[in-house]
Amino acid sequence: MAKVLMKGNEAIALAAIKGGADAFYGYPITPQNEIPEYLSKHMLANGKVFLQAESEVSAINMVYGAAGAGKRVMTSSSSPGIALKQEGISYITAAELPCLIVSVMRGGPGLGSIQPSQGDYYQATRGGGNGDYHLIVFAPESIQETIDVIKESFDIADYYRNPVMVLVDGLIGQMMESVDFDRPVRERFLPNKDWATTGTKDHPGRRNVANSLYLDPQALENHNIHLNEKYKLIKKNETKFELVNFDNPEYVIVAYGTMARICRSAIEMLKKEGIEVGMIRPITLFPYPEKAFDQIPANAKGILTCELSMGQMLDDVLIANNGRHKVGFFGRAGGMLPDPEEIVAAIKNFNERVVK
Amino acid sequence: MKNITFLTGYYGSGKSELAINLAIKEQVDYVVDLDVVNPYFRTREQEKIFNEYGIEVISSDLDYKMHIDMPYISARVFIPFHNNEKRAIYDLGGNDVGAKLLRQFEDYNDVDIDLYLVINVYREESNTKEKIIQLINKIEGIGGFKVTGLINNSNLLRETTLEDILYGEKTISEVSKETKLPIVYTAVWENLFADNLVFQGEILKLKLYFRKNWL
Repeated sequence: MAKVLMKGNEAIALAAIKGGADAFYGYPITPQNEIPEYLSKHMLANGKVFLQAESEVSAINMVYGAAGAGKRVMTSSSSPGIALKQEGISYITAAELPCLIVSVMRGGPGLGSIQPSQGDYYQATRGGGNGDYHLIVFAPESIQETIDVIKESFDIADYYRNPVMVLVDGLIGQMMESVDFDRPVRERFLPNKDWATTGTKDHPGRRNVANSLYLDPQALENHNIHLNEKYKLIKKNETKFELVNFDNPEYVIVAYGTMARICRSAIEMLKKEGIEVGMIRPITLFPYPEKAFDQIPANAKGILTCELSMGQMLDDVLIANNGRHKVGFFGRAGGMLPDPEEIVAAIKNFNERVVK
Repeated sequence: MKNITFLTGYYGSGKSELAINLAIKEQVDYVVDLDVVNPYFRTREQEKIFNEYGIEVISSDLDYKMHIDMPYISARVFIPFHNNEKRAIYDLGGNDVGAKLLRQFEDYNDVDIDLYLVINVYREESNTKEKIIQLINKIEGIGGFKVTGLINNSNLLRETTLEDILYGEKTISEVSKETKLPIVYTAVWENLFADNLVFQGEILKLKLYFRKNWL
């Protein structure tokens, strides 16, 4: 397949098919509707399952069921819709079932707006569901990177038996880019799904059960410890980030997704003025690339966290920085996208931006 | 181009960028945004630029019309049909779904209009002659108006080369041959534009209004 021009949401849908999706369950919400629209046409045509559920709660529980049966299954939604799915997400994670959740962020809180935002960083990395659990969260900055990540996501989910969330904002969902679907995906050894609830043919007398209920406190603590070991392993193996213009930066920007794209332009503009600014661009938000912060030169004047929110990733930057450098914040919210000039100004007036 | 010209096409074919460029080039009086399909990147967002050129934008009368995806348009969309000396470009939403909005103009079938199909062969659903002809049939069936011309807007955004445009022309020429519809315009981004370019139809130099420089 040569290069094609795709809308972000369509590309997400096609990448999921290429990644081996067996089933999609969802409920419509702007600005991600092109994902189910595309899949409704192409999943059925390929003998796969597409189902528009009666609600988000229903959709995520269908994902739970199909994932339990060992299928490669996905759902997609946007901010308030993802909020409705949180209970199911916690259950799926507790039952150690793999799935793909695509979250296309819009303005919030509440119904908010349909314009792009990064206000769901907490929702993705801290979770609105209950208990000690984590999703593996990818935050790509372009449609190409989104395709690459989605194609790999089912493998990652299967490998760790954990849901993967791909978190983008409405702009990535709605914009167009020329893309290539044939870039290679990292090969992983994937064991058989001997836990799947597909009958007892392969293990007579023993039923597989997808479960998140542990009434014995010791059994639940053992389960919590087991999950925690898994998250440590994910942290070790799957942390991904990109360093931009990092030779000897005077300041360092930390930004992800669409905001990182805006910051790239700002970095170019600052370079022309003789101000060297580097960028840490987290590609995974969980696990967070804390080690990247060790590469910031000791004499750097400060770190500017840039987000399309009022400051959520800022928490992780403060944790990763661990008091080493001054940390500042620049954010726009509500669907307002800054021009690179605003980031340039924020760097020049860094002291006014310092939070800690 | 007739006084009233509609732009239709597969969604993501570049209708809205074309609508702006064509409206400015042809100095029309109105641009009518009939897109009830897309939530972002709609013609109405460029109202300021249109106003600079003295072009009036008709879209939705609702408050927050820029930021909602309500299937609502203003009754003022009929104004150009009642003023035959005024010129207007109508930007329809994508696909046959977007073309549904043509039906409301059925009563005006005595007015001579143009309906141009914008085609980018690098979009999956319009990458072959057969698919394009199928789209023409669907749009005509649902919209109730005949397509009168084709616009070659084949591009891969910033990565487009002149060869890519020519490749698009090949497919669209086949459509033209079979349907007897002329290629009325070929769109060329301003960075690729030169005076000696030879493509079918008139060459429309495209300036990008929607795409911010950091995208």
